[in-house]
Amino acid sequence: MKKRVLAIICAAVMLLGTLCMAGCGAESDWAAIEENGQLVIGITIYDPMNYYDDAGNLIGFDTEFANAVCEKLGVEAKFQIIDWKMKETELKSYNIDCIWNGLTVNEERKLDMDFTQSYLTNKQVVVAKASAGYTDAASLSGAILSAEGGSAGETAIAADTNLSKATYSASATQTDALLALVSGNADAIIIDYTLAIASCGTGAYADLVILEGVELADEEYAIGFRVGSDMVEKVDKIIDQLEKDGTLAAIAEKYGLTERYEEAQNK
Amino acid sequence: MLFWDVTLQLLEGFGLTCLLFISTLVLALPLGLVFAFGSMSKTKPLQFITRGFVYIIRGTPLLLQLMIVVYLPGIVFHHPLTKWGIFGGNVEVAYFCGALAAFVINYACYFSEIYRGGIENIPRGQYEAGQVLGMTKRQVFFKVILLQVFKNILAPISNETITLVKDTALARSVAVAEIFFVSYELLSLKNIIWPLFYTGVFYLVFNTILTILFNKLEKRLSYFRS
Repeated sequence: MKKRVLAIICAAVMLLGTLCMAGCGAESDWAAIEENGQLVIGITIYDPMNYYDDAGNLIGFDTEFANAVCEKLGVEAKFQIIDWKMKETELKSYNIDCIWNGLTVNEERKLDMDFTQSYLTNKQVVVAKASAGYTDAASLSGAILSAEGGSAGETAIAADTNLSKATYSASATQTDALLALVSGNADAIIIDYTLAIASCGTGAYADLVILEGVELADEEYAIGFRVGSDMVEKVDKIIDQLEKDGTLAAIAEKYGLTERYEEAQNK
Repeated sequence: MLFWDVTLQLLEGFGLTCLLFISTLVLALPLGLVFAFGSMSKTKPLQFITRGFVYIIRGTPLLLQLMIVVYLPGIVFHHPLTKWGIFGGNVEVAYFCGALAAFVINYACYFSEIYRGGIENIPRGQYEAGQVLGMTKRQVFFKVILLQVFKNILAPISNETITLVKDTALARSVAVAEIFFVSYELLSLKNIIWPLFYTGVFYLVFNTILTILFNKLEKRLSYFRS
């Protein structure tokens, strides 16, 4: 009897050990990256984070930031364009080493990745037609609102006392939300500040404005590595250095993100 | 997230998928017959207009038609769909009805061509025989022709019906929270991708049931063999 119990315990311990070796990523991420000589960074083309200039060179805040970090690491930064919806899978399957593309920190994502310190703030903003005359959240309580289904904007509506009173209908994407607004099917929409800046006042969106009078919860951007990766600590230290010597502040200024960079510093 | 939780949420979306499917079928089948009569009409202008309409609807993507119905009233005529009085301020109902209208018109056009083919295939001799027996044109059509047409067109209609089940996924783009929309929401909200592929099971099961029903119907009509 005792022997059997002992055997079961031994088997259980061995099984646990194997699972841990397979699951906990016992190998060092840094060792593999150093050996390859490159850090593979998952991005999407997204102004002002990673995008092409007129000459076709990849530029942007995150592009220059990543290049600066990789220079300190002594490896090459390799930017890999991914499907944003597949980012966790790309990371887990070792197709990329990190996600570095205006990635918002949230609790759900912490299950799939480890975040570095945050380096910029992002926020959700309310966009409406200038002619509609909305000024603050209270004036929107009787309006029809929209946001991308499952987005941070949707969460922001539910969290706001005034906005949660309004009629809400989810859109398939943020672009669909903009279409709903332009067609008048929605009176106001809640989207990423970054997208709002790029859209409002241009082309089909000429009549759209960001409502400055509405304050919504802030978010932060950070770099996402595999869970348990030793890169987080390493990159965090380099970010500290880049903040001290003013490199990061200079990049932020170049892309008009100084305010959001300083906000992240003050947190 | 638990398998069961996801299944329940997807089922909720699938309810809307089924509602869209059934409503489209119920409305498009008779409307298709109206279009079929229009395109076979002896009144030339009516025939021309109906055939032109069917040509345009069959020649453009359903996705585009959905966007036209849902966005154009607001953009061009400044009467946004969601604010039409008949929807009583219910945005979800407005979007659903917009999508339904596009589906019904699109499918009615396809059905009308199937009907037209089925009706024109009936030998002229049957009409003549009916008239010889003293039946009116109406009597000939409803008592002699229609049942044969029904049998002849069953296979192409079942084909379209099965396509319709899958096409309902397009309604996602105009804010109808059907099963595909829900699975995408789970993806951005919970970062889980498998529900997206799992939706395939729902469509497959539904189409399996439909296929069995159509097979039974076909067998029941087989006594009618000529």
